Amino acid sequence: MKFRTWKNMIREGMRNVVRNRVMTLASIGAIMAALFVLGIIMATIINLDNIVAGLESKVEVTVYLKKGVTQGDINAVRDKINSWEGIIGVDFISKEEALENWRKEMGSKSYLLDGYNEENNPLPDTFFIRVEKPEYVENIVNNAQKLDAVDQVRYSADVVRAITSIAGTTRLIGLSIVLLLSIMSIIIINNTIKLTVYSRRREINIMKYIGATDWYIRWPFVIEGMVLGLFGAGLAGGAVAGAYALLLGKANDMGSILSIFGLLPLKDIMYPVLLVFVLIGCLIGVTASMLSIRKHLKV
Amino acid sequence: MIEFKNVSKLYGNVRALKDVNVTIGNGEFVFIVGASGAGKSTFIKLLLKEIEPTAGQIIVNNTDLSAMKRKHIPYYRRNLGVVFQDFRLLPDKTVYDNVAFAMEIVEASKKEIRRQVPAVLGLVGLASKANAYPHELSGGEQQRTSLARALANNPSILIADEPTGNLDPATAKEIMKIINVINHRGTTVIMATHAKEIVNAMKKRVITFRKGMIVSDQEKGEYFGEV
Repeated sequence: MKFRTWKNMIREGMRNVVRNRVMTLASIGAIMAALFVLGIIMATIINLDNIVAGLESKVEVTVYLKKGVTQGDINAVRDKINSWEGIIGVDFISKEEALENWRKEMGSKSYLLDGYNEENNPLPDTFFIRVEKPEYVENIVNNAQKLDAVDQVRYSADVVRAITSIAGTTRLIGLSIVLLLSIMSIIIINNTIKLTVYSRRREINIMKYIGATDWYIRWPFVIEGMVLGLFGAGLAGGAVAGAYALLLGKANDMGSILSIFGLLPLKDIMYPVLLVFVLIGCLIGVTASMLSIRKHLKV
Repeated sequence: MIEFKNVSKLYGNVRALKDVNVTIGNGEFVFIVGASGAGKSTFIKLLLKEIEPTAGQIIVNNTDLSAMKRKHIPYYRRNLGVVFQDFRLLPDKTVYDNVAFAMEIVEASKKEIRRQVPAVLGLVGLASKANAYPHELSGGEQQRTSLARALANNPSILIADEPTGNLDPATAKEIMKIINVINHRGTTVIMATHAKEIVNAMKKRVITFRKGMIVSDQEKGEYFGEV
């Protein structure tokens, strides 16, 4: 299409936005409300994901070896561990190193450990296995317990399971609500644009007879829908930013209590939120306008 | 050239056209007559590819309409100029803009529009009313505007559906003069009408429909009437 045609269509679309003032405001309000709720959900999910990611990166299985294992046994266990699925890294701390570390931790009171030496070291040789995802933990634990050289395996199964399930549920609920709200917005914008389409049905009819392509007819309405979506997205973005900033302020006032949750800074939330708002706002506007004009193109 | 080959159209169980065979050559002037419901409108809608035939083949300018893809319909329609009984002008646009609108839709250049719009307005005798709005015009002037719009993109075929239906006899006569001029410039004219006096006065080819069938097709024919 020619540049001049585009210019005309954008002008036409903007004119429609201004022409249906009341319904335009209603649409922008509706999409704003829907996106605002979506934004709150997103902020929650992003923060939860962040916590989950933080905890997931700390998923670790500790494997204690039996007393009196040889260097060969240790090497064999290490090779076995490295062959399992989901392993990010394996750290080995020998019982000597462990004792040395303990001494360091005790600092000035390290004399308390003077009674221990290489002969009677109470600490076991230990493997620390860093695991990619909680899902892998169970297998790793089972495998480790089967090894002869292994004495005990430690991990926090309940925490791992809870984290996994919270992350999944949050995403599921979030997506359902987003879908529902999007459909609501589509219905409202669809009705707004139907008004424009209705008031211009003669024009559309004539255009069809003269030989306008479907897209030539559609564009001004699609632009109208997009503008409604973008306005709603912008306002909702502002509202979410305001609300989140308020929450951050409150969290600071309460000091350390909320800071355990480690709320992300405003910009970490707003980048994804605005991106999604603009995309969904446009998508909703375009879908709604395409639906509202469909019937009138069948001439 | 327009060819209908064994064209039938059913609406549910109602037969609108039955086995219509007709050929209309380039530059011809053809009246389509018949009572309401005889099949005139169906014939015109088929020609505009607004509806599809139930059976048969329609070929316009060597193109088979039933084989035409939906996205090609707009380009096909640019070969057809259409005028209606109710004019279908845009009330918020001037005469000039109504005509220019037809050219903007097909993305004609500004230069072409500036040249062509005054030319077609001159042809229909409306040059002096270019800046008037449709509600400021008489019925005849509105129909002339609609003719100018139909001609703006130089169609090879002009389809007029009851163009004089809303006009008094004197005005109707003027419109027919203009349509005749358009025909003489080489445009094929297909006009559906009820107006007996006009058909009889013009001495053109007359195709008469009755109950979905062509019952008469005469050169320099006359209006059969709804006997």
